[in-house]
Amino acid sequence: MMNLYEYTASELHEKLVNKEVSATEIAKSTIDRINATEEKVGSFVTITEELAMQNAKLVDEKIANGEEISKLAGIPIAVKDNICTNGIKTTCSSKMLMNFVPQYSATVYERVLKSGMTVVGKVNMDEFAMGSSCENSAVKVTHNPRNIDYVPGGSSGGSASSVAAGQATLSLGSDTGGSIRQPAAFTGVIGLKPTYGSVSRYGLVAFASSLDQIGPMGRSVTDVANLYTTICGADKLDATTSRREYPDFATLLNADVKGLRIGLPKEFFGEGVDAQIKESVMTAIKELEKKGATLVDVSLPSTDYALSAYYILSSAEASSNLARFDGVKYGFRAENYDGLNDMYEKTRSEGFGDEVKRRIMLGSFVLSSGFYDAHYNKAKLLQQKISAEYTEAFKLCDVLATPTTPTTAFKISDKVSDPMKMYAGDICTVTVNIAGLPALSIPCGNVNGLPVGMQLIGAKFSEQTLLNTAFAYENIMGTVSTVANL
Amino acid sequence: MKVDIEKIANLSKLSISDSEKEKFEKQIENMIDMIENLPDISGKPFVDENNRMELRKDEVIESMERQKLLSNAPEVLAGCVAVPKTMES
Repeated sequence: MMNLYEYTASELHEKLVNKEVSATEIAKSTIDRINATEEKVGSFVTITEELAMQNAKLVDEKIANGEEISKLAGIPIAVKDNICTNGIKTTCSSKMLMNFVPQYSATVYERVLKSGMTVVGKVNMDEFAMGSSCENSAVKVTHNPRNIDYVPGGSSGGSASSVAAGQATLSLGSDTGGSIRQPAAFTGVIGLKPTYGSVSRYGLVAFASSLDQIGPMGRSVTDVANLYTTICGADKLDATTSRREYPDFATLLNADVKGLRIGLPKEFFGEGVDAQIKESVMTAIKELEKKGATLVDVSLPSTDYALSAYYILSSAEASSNLARFDGVKYGFRAENYDGLNDMYEKTRSEGFGDEVKRRIMLGSFVLSSGFYDAHYNKAKLLQQKISAEYTEAFKLCDVLATPTTPTTAFKISDKVSDPMKMYAGDICTVTVNIAGLPALSIPCGNVNGLPVGMQLIGAKFSEQTLLNTAFAYENIMGTVSTVANL
Repeated sequence: MKVDIEKIANLSKLSISDSEKEKFEKQIENMIDMIENLPDISGKPFVDENNRMELRKDEVIESMERQKLLSNAPEVLAGCVAVPKTMES
């Protein structure tokens, strides 16, 4: 007999509809699991037990009244703490917003509530989404449920760890340079970074507005598809959202990969990626080949410049976006200062952590007079080159398959004092954000007990193809993600 | 590349203590070395005139309640957000 917190959303929905379990029982099972494991894992900034029970009660009332419930009603979800939730502290894991309670909700959160999900809490992250380990949090360090001495990845570390630990069935994360996919790979769960413009950023605390996207994380492809359907779609409160209509992705899932052309970009299988990771990923790809997919060699030459382009563009936007944190209208204000300018400087110097300061300074530098052309302008040109190379590649294939990360999770404290070492882990993920493409990470094996993720990248708005490919792989393997033993 | 960390910190409205100056200087210099790895390209980025963002109509609609917004402010006086003096008298 499995515990309720171990089931997927699809399985729980079936049980709810058949009146085998109640939403209240599901909520209780998950909250108990959180209480039993939180000391070890540390996913949460805020646990919302009362809200969870309220959400669950409403769903149970609906079921009792014979009303139809949505596919995700009564399903426990954790929300990354950079997504505004009306009345619930939203900290971005920063001292700057440690007591900030938003007076409005992000569009994605409104959609989650509307579908009747059970919100269990707000989860930990690298401060202002800047980081790849969840160690840059002013709240706590989150641990990888697969091995608690290791990082869960970042910046959506808590989103990933809560799902891997069974503390939530689904979660929302955000991805600017890999922040959903990398922690998904490190913790052995599935994470989707949607096409830029498919999910509203209204209410997402901005890091790099042209790169940020909110996305779903879960333990089955169907669950991830259903959460994506719930949150995607045009929003008049976010002018960067696309006007297009989206299907109900889960209902169209198709595991038949006969004739699917899988592109392997050689730059993602080079020296920079651990041999064992390449082996795991190739083994997974070969399984798809056995089912009828064809493999195509492709090249994305500008991958060499990926980190430069990413850190220039994202830091420039970050320096601009984080200028709003000045201690004036909301958030932290320093206690002792001498005049307005000093208030700004003291507030920001005391309120921001080191990684955030580094990125803001780098951003100011690349945008400053004398350096703009050499860096920022070049990075914008490089962005177009990277996008064009992906477009060319997608003429030869339907989906690209690569490792999600060059290494498995690393030990806590291993890299946090060496920013360059930390950034090097982003090489497989950043160009996806630069080109605005969708990409998904799915677990495809283990190395020394630590999960390996395979990344699937698609052309814009090709999420159905990504989900289908992932679904095909999941069908071959039986299941790709289960709750960790803790 | 050598950087003027004080100038950058000033642009960023951050104050770096003397004890941290060397650390940040080295780290920023390393980051700049990394980002200097760029190809030899020049020109103006292409802007697609046919793919414009759709902006909403400029019409007055109900916004947020004043009290709710002020509830986030560090200091409120007479219904306004209080800040240090912004101009010399």
